[in-house]
Amino acid sequence: MDLTLIVVLVIALALFFDFTNGFHDTANAMATPIATGAMKPKVAVTVAAILNLVGAFLSTEVAKTVSGGIIREGDGGVQISPEMIFAGLIGAVVWNMITWLRGLPSSSSHALFGGLIGAAVVGAGVSSVDFSVVLSKVILPALLAPLIAGLVGYTATRLAYTITRRRDDKSERGGFRYGQVFTSSLVALAHGTNDAQKTMGVITLTLIASGALGAGSGPPLWVVVVCAFAIALGTYTGGWRIIQTMGGGLTEVKPTQGFAAEASTTATVLASSHLGFALSTTQVASGSIIGAGLGRRGSKIQWSTAGKIVAAWFITLPASAAVGAVAALIATLGTAGLVVDALVGVVVIGGIFLLSRRRPHEQGAAMEVDVAATSVLSRRRARRLEKKGRVDTPAAGVEAPFVRLDEAVPTVAPSGTLAAPARSEEKKEDDR
Amino acid sequence: MIDWSAFVVVALVSLFSAAALVSLYSLGLRLVTVDDRSTARTVAGVACFVLCGLGVLYGIYLIVPALHR
Repeated sequence: MDLTLIVVLVIALALFFDFTNGFHDTANAMATPIATGAMKPKVAVTVAAILNLVGAFLSTEVAKTVSGGIIREGDGGVQISPEMIFAGLIGAVVWNMITWLRGLPSSSSHALFGGLIGAAVVGAGVSSVDFSVVLSKVILPALLAPLIAGLVGYTATRLAYTITRRRDDKSERGGFRYGQVFTSSLVALAHGTNDAQKTMGVITLTLIASGALGAGSGPPLWVVVVCAFAIALGTYTGGWRIIQTMGGGLTEVKPTQGFAAEASTTATVLASSHLGFALSTTQVASGSIIGAGLGRRGSKIQWSTAGKIVAAWFITLPASAAVGAVAALIATLGTAGLVVDALVGVVVIGGIFLLSRRRPHEQGAAMEVDVAATSVLSRRRARRLEKKGRVDTPAAGVEAPFVRLDEAVPTVAPSGTLAAPARSEEKKEDDR
Repeated sequence: MIDWSAFVVVALVSLFSAAALVSLYSLGLRLVTVDDRSTARTVAGVACFVLCGLGVLYGIYLIVPALHR
């Protein structure tokens, strides 16, 4: 087996992409159960990680093309070289890290497509990219996914509230928490079967291109195993920033809404993957949560956050394409270029990681779990807990609840701001 | 270009399946938590939850390729 430098680099980077994909997408399945207290944060990410691991082994369908038709690859088209894949992966990973730092849920596959497009344009010219496929597979679905999921989520939420409405003020809606466990687990399982396959496909195609595997062969067992563990580990690490955004930053999620949103996400994702109209899970999940927010009387949606998320979706492709293009340009220098690429990539990723450590400063890694837990408490619950003296977070340096993404203000919340003053319109709210 | 008929199908199927699942669960929840519980109500409520469970199983069936290929 001839494992050249480029093959090793691609495999390492592909696995890291798989890892970022995992922690980027934990929120899709687990943000709402964590927000409503259906599952403890640590339990939720563990369940998601296990289901991702299982899911990765379940599916035998490995992507046949790296780009899903966006780049005219194969016969009569351009040959995608391992260098292009490498540059594309750098674009995807860097963009995934940036959106994670900002707490924005964005599609990992779109980042990968973007990186590859950038690399292909540099490596093989603009004609190598099929822009009509870009429009029909990336841009239009990005508009349609949140609309359809929002409609489904709104309808489901209204139905749930209508059916469980009672004259007496006793509410049984806490029972929706148990349902959430099942629906969110389905989302996690579906994620594992879909997303780990992409990385397996990328690695397999690289091995084939380098001659280590025969043309048309499936992924070797070790590729399946390492990809499965990379995505599971990423999921377990948990992108708490994105979980915060989706669990509390968009709207305050109650169990009824959480259940309705997860049911909508599950239904929409499964329908789209089985009826031939691919939608991004991330975009569907965000849309469902907004729909569920619209469906409860008295709930507020942070439209500025929603707007930022949608903007990120549209920037994802060009931004990762730009990074991919620069990386591809450097890679044309040959081996030295690849090494430079790899080093710059490591420095950028490390820098973003350090930046993320600094923002909630004076805070150890283990504390992030508690932060995620307290920051997605509803205001009322937080107030109640604080009265009992059980929550002394957010302590100095720990992020305040409902962190908006436009927090130019330092995240250090003066203690006591956790309990927002009671709002007068709270009376009209659906309580759970 | 974009396959609008597939999109409409996906939209309708998602809408109805999510609505059905959520309605069944809500109904079950309401039936088993009502104050004057009768056997009939409890049975009906549990039946709703069983139907939800079947829905989840169908979801797993759809997710795992080995089951439907």
